Amino acid sequence: MPEFRSVGKGEEIGEGQAMAFDVDGQLIAVARSGGELFAFSDICTHRQCNLSSGGDIDGTAIECECHGSRFDMKTGEVLDGPAVDPIEVFEVREDGEDLQVGV
Amino acid sequence: MTGSPFVIVGASLCAATAAATLRDSGFDGPIVMLGAEDLVPYERPALSKEYLRGGSSIDDTFVRPALWYADNGIDLRTGTTVVQIEPATREVVLAGGERIGYERLLVATGSRNRRLDVEGSDLPGISDLRTVGDSDEIRAAASSGAKVVCIGMGFIGAEVAASLAEMGCIVTVVEIFETTLFRVLGPELGRVVERLHRDHGVTMHFNDKVERFEGDLRVERVVTSGGLSLEADLVVVGIGTEPAMDVMTGTGLDDPAGIPVGPTLETAIPGVFAAGDVARHEHPVFGPIRVEHFDNAIKMGATAARNMLGGSEVFDDPHWFWSDQYDSQIQMAGFAPTWDRMIVRGSLEEGSFCAFLLDERGVVRSSVSLDYKRDVRRSFGLIRSQIVPDPQALEDPDTDLRSLVPQD
Repeated sequence: MPEFRSVGKGEEIGEGQAMAFDVDGQLIAVARSGGELFAFSDICTHRQCNLSSGGDIDGTAIECECHGSRFDMKTGEVLDGPAVDPIEVFEVREDGEDLQVGV
Repeated sequence: MTGSPFVIVGASLCAATAAATLRDSGFDGPIVMLGAEDLVPYERPALSKEYLRGGSSIDDTFVRPALWYADNGIDLRTGTTVVQIEPATREVVLAGGERIGYERLLVATGSRNRRLDVEGSDLPGISDLRTVGDSDEIRAAASSGAKVVCIGMGFIGAEVAASLAEMGCIVTVVEIFETTLFRVLGPELGRVVERLHRDHGVTMHFNDKVERFEGDLRVERVVTSGGLSLEADLVVVGIGTEPAMDVMTGTGLDDPAGIPVGPTLETAIPGVFAAGDVARHEHPVFGPIRVEHFDNAIKMGATAARNMLGGSEVFDDPHWFWSDQYDSQIQMAGFAPTWDRMIVRGSLEEGSFCAFLLDERGVVRSSVSLDYKRDVRRSFGLIRSQIVPDPQALEDPDTDLRSLVPQD
């Protein structure tokens, strides 16, 4: 059972947007797409760019702005290279205004 | 099916992507991949950057793990040189004489470096960069404090200069044009990149070229036409590439500008396809064009594979690439050898911008960014659709470029 941590307010993340939060030194991105929330490691596994800073979101996919790798935000799997390794994904929920990530 | 394999000449990023796409598309027939190098297919971008600087290993560069080929029934033969393709009998001929028949053929032999043919160019200590071995050779000579002269300031030269400067080498550049990346970016944008290198301590001599190399046992000096004599412990030459066409001799497709292929990447010889650096394809927007980009190698390899299986997919990719230098990144898409007007969002002075190169109609033919990552990829739709966007919207950083393209 993951431990849910409050990272901010849900309203900070609009539809089609992503934002990164420092959770115990690990940068975790939270994105909202199609009304659904996704939480995943913010660090692209290819060259360590931050996915949340400018990564374009389309459905459950996020595309790294540095070298174009695409990841499924729900499963973490690579949809398009050059990245080879998946990103870690986390549980995420809203409790009232409170945005919580499970670590 | 006759039972002959699908043969891929070349064992590169493009070739491996094609093989993987064949399997992903459900093709379960035999695939033979023939590569002249001794390694399994690997990616080259890191060779001028992380790998050169010692920050990544060979394994990190492999397109697929070494065992993937056997696991997927792909007969990968490394260290194998193809000398000739014989379309009349549908065979490829290997050095040593072995012949392999093909059902379909993909030529993905890539490109090779232009050589600098001047006095002393055979001296040890003069390298160029294409293979893992080349990168190893440069790194071995690039100790901190070593004097390095880079000949040519295209993308490879600029990336190598940046890596070597970061490794503590004293880097001097000799470039034939008036600034860095001149042929691709033109003078105004080229100078922004020039400034980036100057800020990192690189000394650059423009409008000059190598007259000869001097040295006894290895290179010691670079003498230029402009009269400079530059001390050198190591020289790296990066003066461009040409398509690796040898295997096409006698086929009628050995055009020095690249193997001509149609919009679906098939050549004039039925069943023979070409992709990657070696292919000069008929692009629906840019016309006949040959590019040497990483992303293009992947996408062309995949498209060629699907069309080898009977597809008729037109390759209309906008040709995107990046170049990482120091902590900065250039991205570029499209093709604009000349342009009528440039519109900039962001700031050239501050070195953070996306520039749009427009033709006389006002169509975006190409976009270039420096440390302004988001927008080049977002401009793909503009380049593909050839619509005329509102120039003010291009300039306004708050306008999402994707919103300028009408959705169908």
